[in-house]
Amino acid sequence: MLSAHDVTRSFGGLTAVNHVSLEIGPREIVGLVGPNGSGKTTLLNLLSGFLAPTSGEIRFDGTTVSARRAWQPSRLGLRRSFQLPKLPARMSVLEVMLAGGRLPAGASPWRSLLTPGAVRREEAAFIGKAMGLLAEVDLAGLADHPAGGLSGGQQKLLGLAAVLMDDPAVLLLDEPTAGVNPSLRRRMADHLRRIREGGTALVIVEHDMGFIGDLCDRCLALDKGAVIANCRPDELSGNQQVVEAYLGRRRPGVPLRIVAGGTVGGTVDIRTNGARA
Amino acid sequence: MLEFCLHVLIMSAIFGIAAVSLNLQAGTGGLLNFGQIALFGIGAYAVAILTRAGLPWPAALPAGMAAAALGGFAIGRLGRDLAAEYWALATLAVAELVRLVALNEDWLTGGPQGIGGIVGLFPGLDGVARALATLALAALLLLGTALMARRLGQTQFGRVLRLMRENPDLATALGHDIVACKVKVLAIGGAMAGLAGGLYTLYLAFIGPDQLLPFETFLIWTMVVLGGLGNVAGAVVGAMLVTTLYAGIPFLKDAVALPSDLTGSLRVFAIGSIVLAVLMLKPQGLVPERLRRLHAQRP
Repeated sequence: MLSAHDVTRSFGGLTAVNHVSLEIGPREIVGLVGPNGSGKTTLLNLLSGFLAPTSGEIRFDGTTVSARRAWQPSRLGLRRSFQLPKLPARMSVLEVMLAGGRLPAGASPWRSLLTPGAVRREEAAFIGKAMGLLAEVDLAGLADHPAGGLSGGQQKLLGLAAVLMDDPAVLLLDEPTAGVNPSLRRRMADHLRRIREGGTALVIVEHDMGFIGDLCDRCLALDKGAVIANCRPDELSGNQQVVEAYLGRRRPGVPLRIVAGGTVGGTVDIRTNGARA
Repeated sequence: MLEFCLHVLIMSAIFGIAAVSLNLQAGTGGLLNFGQIALFGIGAYAVAILTRAGLPWPAALPAGMAAAALGGFAIGRLGRDLAAEYWALATLAVAELVRLVALNEDWLTGGPQGIGGIVGLFPGLDGVARALATLALAALLLLGTALMARRLGQTQFGRVLRLMRENPDLATALGHDIVACKVKVLAIGGAMAGLAGGLYTLYLAFIGPDQLLPFETFLIWTMVVLGGLGNVAGAVVGAMLVTTLYAGIPFLKDAVALPSDLTGSLRVFAIGSIVLAVLMLKPQGLVPERLRRLHAQRP
């Protein structure tokens, strides 16, 4: 569905993503892990067409993803969310949801003026869909509230719900659970699984290993812009390179400080000092 | 006195249309168009040139709107890759270019003397009757423009514009081509501003390059900021207040015995004071933008 072929992105002298190739299949849930600064968000920006690769190519559904038309992947069914959604203060929650849908009659100035009936029918249908999605993230009661007035966690949930208004084939999520409380986090995992059952593939940048282990079929670990592991989530903690990327190289005589706790779905929860900024 | 009041109302309606246009671009779409007067001027000159060539005004006015829409389209395309602030500067430059063309291309625009002696609106009527008919036409066109702008702000088109204003990256991520949206709203805003410019020319039977000075753009901005960015009614209210004040200041010199050469400066001073006062005391304007409650509206 979505693939990267030998993609590199440099910012001046810094190579943020270094010769990465990957392939995301239909209905797959892939976690993108790695310490801060390892290039996860840059890779997500490249995959979604928000950044142009310095070299290499990104293909989605048979077409090349081009940063010159960053809006196009979204219309073709490749959508992304943001780490910090920064939702508008002067638009309501429901309006943000509708902006995530495809309403061709209302989006055309001519048809807005000349075919009010079609605009109204279209809007009513999408309001119904939006309210359903809002109910799933506990925001239905806030439909008429300013989107920018929501808490950080709620804004993330709304950002996710708005992206789902167009039934994407591939969804790229940038730290969906940061700032979301644990009970909602579990429900979010259930929700994401249901989205996958609906036919959507997911790529998730995430620091919460429990969440990753619970949800992902496969993990790509990045370090210094390169893929250092491509394995099942439960294999991550056994991977020497991954452990070193997170914790640094082990010095002889100093014991490794891995806290083995919160074994969700049989995975080891790697907690590192300061790795979750 | 009656004639003066009618004059102020007609000018309010004409500038009301220009303000509604700017409000759609800047209030809804967040586009800092500092060249609004260029779109107004393109419409004004197009109507002047066409009526001078013998076209009746009902045909010249739509042609002027089309010319100004094209101008808006061009401004939108021109700066499509510029960041908002740089684009704003570019619009100011474009407006000055338009004015300089009007000032120097004598064969087309009459140069510094402008184009006068235009057969205006309702040549069959006289005095108050003519002013009343002009006011009726201008008010009707203002109403039409305002309703259109309000409608465009309510549908998905306006929703995307507002999202573009507040978070262009999110709008892009949701599949909206923000350059196309920008070009569309500038073309629509251009047509509206061109209508205002055309009416202005027809009403005063004259247009000259001095009417296209950057100060005129700031006058329209003052109307929109005073009324409330993002609210159509606000733009109309702001246009009325600013136009009345602007036209009323010359009377002040009779009342307080000010030297007549001071009135021009006093006008600029008053406009500047309004902008400052609004920004400090009521930055959202007299009629603030309202949140649209779509859910509560449902039956």
